[in-house]
Amino acid sequence: MSRIPVTILTGFLGSGKTTLLNRILTEKHGLRIAVIENEFGEVGIDHELVISTDEELFEMNNGCICCTVRGDLIRILGNLMKRRDKFDHILIETTGLADPGPVVQTFFVDDELREKTIVNGVVTLVDAHHIVGQLEQTHEAEEQVAFADVIVLNKCDLVPEENLDALEQRVRGINALATIHRTTRADIDIAKVLEVGGFNLDRAVEVNPHFLDAHGHHHHHHSEIFSVGIEAEGECDGRKLNDWISKLVREQGKDIFRMKGVFAVKNQADRVVFQGVHMLVDAASGGPWAGRPRKNAVVFIGRNLNREALNAGFRMCLA
Amino acid sequence: MKNLGEFEAGDNILSLKWSRDAAKLLVTPSTGDILVAGLEECSVKERFSGHGMGNGSSDWFQGEPVTCGFDGKVRRAGKEWAPGRGMIDRVKSNCDDSLFAVAQNRRLHVLNGANEPLYMIDLPASAADFGWSPTQAGEIATAGAGGACLWRVGEDNPFARFDWGGACLGVEWSADGRWLATADQTPSVHVYDIPRDHPLHIQGFEGKVRTMAFSPDSKRLATAGSPVVTVWPCKGKKGPEGATPIQVDGSESEVLAVAFSPKTGQLATGDGKGTLLVVSFESGQFRRKRTRLTSGIASLAWHPLLPLLAIGHDNGNVMFLSME
Repeated sequence: MSRIPVTILTGFLGSGKTTLLNRILTEKHGLRIAVIENEFGEVGIDHELVISTDEELFEMNNGCICCTVRGDLIRILGNLMKRRDKFDHILIETTGLADPGPVVQTFFVDDELREKTIVNGVVTLVDAHHIVGQLEQTHEAEEQVAFADVIVLNKCDLVPEENLDALEQRVRGINALATIHRTTRADIDIAKVLEVGGFNLDRAVEVNPHFLDAHGHHHHHHSEIFSVGIEAEGECDGRKLNDWISKLVREQGKDIFRMKGVFAVKNQADRVVFQGVHMLVDAASGGPWAGRPRKNAVVFIGRNLNREALNAGFRMCLA
Repeated sequence: MKNLGEFEAGDNILSLKWSRDAAKLLVTPSTGDILVAGLEECSVKERFSGHGMGNGSSDWFQGEPVTCGFDGKVRRAGKEWAPGRGMIDRVKSNCDDSLFAVAQNRRLHVLNGANEPLYMIDLPASAADFGWSPTQAGEIATAGAGGACLWRVGEDNPFARFDWGGACLGVEWSADGRWLATADQTPSVHVYDIPRDHPLHIQGFEGKVRTMAFSPDSKRLATAGSPVVTVWPCKGKKGPEGATPIQVDGSESEVLAVAFSPKTGQLATGDGKGTLLVVSFESGQFRRKRTRLTSGIASLAWHPLLPLLAIGHDNGNVMFLSME
């Protein structure tokens, strides 16, 4: 049975989420998309495929952010999965101030959802006109950018072109992994929102830890949240690598929003790919190297990450 | 066993409820019309409009169906009521049929026979489930993030709280009102001995407990989520504490529905592949009768007076099965 893809749509108040949702619901794309909108959305969308809900956080393990999931989604999706006429796609809108972590974690933690759905990615809308102020004033805006697989830099018509480049670099400084699209009135090809594949392990092999270096600004963080990319030749010791990642997420998982990597592991012919959210990590074979050089690449996105310690820790894993 | 009749309800059967006079069955599919079937004809007698994207579990109230759904609306006797934005996934009437309640987000609304909202309780967290006390008409339990609470209708604060920090998805009362059980998001169950104010945390399940039911004499609690149904003894001072449960195997996949017969005390269980077990208990032992039906079993409801079981399938089929 094929799993139903889920896209998580996040973004600060006024970033254009409702405009994008309306576009998705009304455009002729041939897909049957169920939209779960938050109860406190700016505008309630009156549409037969929209379900309105209050974001209901479940702490599964007293107080641990990494074990927090969305109870309302478990109930709604549990019901949607049972119905006879299934959906092609499910889109979940979060509130403007929401941390996307619990939404993503819900799909990792709940067995039933894990079996029947697959998170396709986190899409974050950013108001190009106001994002600088939002990043400086709130943690939420930073975290939403940090979690994203796709960032839709919206309202670009309100910002001079030369400022957009600097803005994009600022966003890229927080999240080196995301694809950035510039839009006006959230006018974007729907496929770029739905067909993200951000949590698809096959896509983890596309990790490019040099992206920050290419923009030459990785040592000048404006914020506490930024990306750290590591690339190393040679092979890893599988056991050491496993121990290092386990320790890392156990001790720093709260501050690591996303991580993705591809590794060359000793005695394993294929690539090993992994990705994770906070303390939850998924790893699998990434298929053959197919003539490409066997090397390791990993990117972490998080708060107050220690670049030197991460580099040193990883190098200890080399065989 | 004898098949007395069957009909199609169009979609996965979310809930089945016998009317208080035991003559009619309320059938709620996940989507589409909500149906009332007659016992004598074993066929559909009435249809009520569904609730758009999805129906919630319906119930009987003062002889009529009350329905709700993802559209945030409640309908009864030709009247519609929409308390606000947000889905409503269940409606339940109380033990003396004088009130019914719906939960929407962090609010529990209590209505009377005129469909008028009488009380509104602001909850500490959204109610994943709630259940009226089987013995006290004005008392209700809610379960959700943090644990469970007991409320008296008309009061703003709960009169008992069972906070354990985790999350509950379902709540079930024993018929005598002694036990309150919650099925948790983690593979565990909390059972509260209300008179003793004593909580018990039962762990070690293979997966999340998706369904549970107390026996009509309140002496057993059946819990299921995996292919094995665990039946906990609830008699004596300590109830399930330190007791060895009965493990009922024989299902082929996750058990999705369990129900005890008020008439015979037998336990019926249904799994996702259509395996029906009818289990009889005799002095610590059990005997089970196994039947393979054509599609997955989503809901079960024993007739209140007869050895007759209504079975709701995941393909929308509803079957009446006599155990005589």
